[in-house]
Amino acid sequence: MAIQLTRGALGAMVCAATLALSPLPAAAHHGWGGNVDQVSEMTGMVVEGVKLAGPHGTMKINVDGHVWDLTLAPPFRTSSAGLKPDTIPVGAMVIVRGQKNRDASRYEMKTIQVEYEGRHFTVYPEREASLKH
Amino acid sequence: MAWLEGSALGHAMRDSGVWTYGIVNLTHILGVAILFGAIVILDLRLLGLWKQVPLAALSKPIVSMAAIGFVVAAISGSGLLATKATEYVGNPFLYIKFPAIALGLINVLLIHRSRAWKAHRARDLTVREQSQLAAMGGTSLVCWLTALSAGRMIGYW
Repeated sequence: MAIQLTRGALGAMVCAATLALSPLPAAAHHGWGGNVDQVSEMTGMVVEGVKLAGPHGTMKINVDGHVWDLTLAPPFRTSSAGLKPDTIPVGAMVIVRGQKNRDASRYEMKTIQVEYEGRHFTVYPEREASLKH
Repeated sequence: MAWLEGSALGHAMRDSGVWTYGIVNLTHILGVAILFGAIVILDLRLLGLWKQVPLAALSKPIVSMAAIGFVVAAISGSGLLATKATEYVGNPFLYIKFPAIALGLINVLLIHRSRAWKAHRARDLTVREQSQLAAMGGTSLVCWLTALSAGRMIGYW
């Protein structure tokens, strides 16, 4: 009986682990799977400054009349990279580098680096190698 | 939603440090784990598993823990939602999650008002009463599993 129960529990754990490890749909916003692999660069005007609320830091910029949602690193890492709510004023011009959402109609980019007045804020330093300077 | 985002809770969530959201999120998971971990045992018992364990011995600790888990999850969850409440408008998983929670709570009320539940500590239940409780236990499992799954998927929309 004890052995059977243990086997059952083991089976359940294997099932759960398989489920947990199975890849999620590409639309996942907590990973990079929902974004194109290619890194691109955009220049735009800040319409909403850096916010460090929620699972990721965010900001919004206007690029050629479209407002882009920039998804930054989680709050602590964004802040550690020097990017804080008062670092870049609304109305400033910035250059951003990152990976756009696969769904072009979303106007969303997972941002690796924000450039403002010659300063580079790299919120995902481990991805810096993929940037072309 | 705009009201919730503009509330004192919303401001506190946004303006009180870079770890706030993460810690509240952690608390939410803890609450959900306690709630679901407790309720799944009771529901499976009502559905006929572990019949050798008396229901009366299980029901009190499980109901207490599930209630604690629910309160923790509800308070922390309000904070998570208030952070950027307006962003969740149109998120289909939210519209699955909250009705599932509502149905789950109605089901709790129905169980606690049922004659079978009221009698289970005092005497053995009839077969009919047992199947009544089994049906409500099954409903409970479906409700909370749906709420948990839809809740987890909110971030992936």
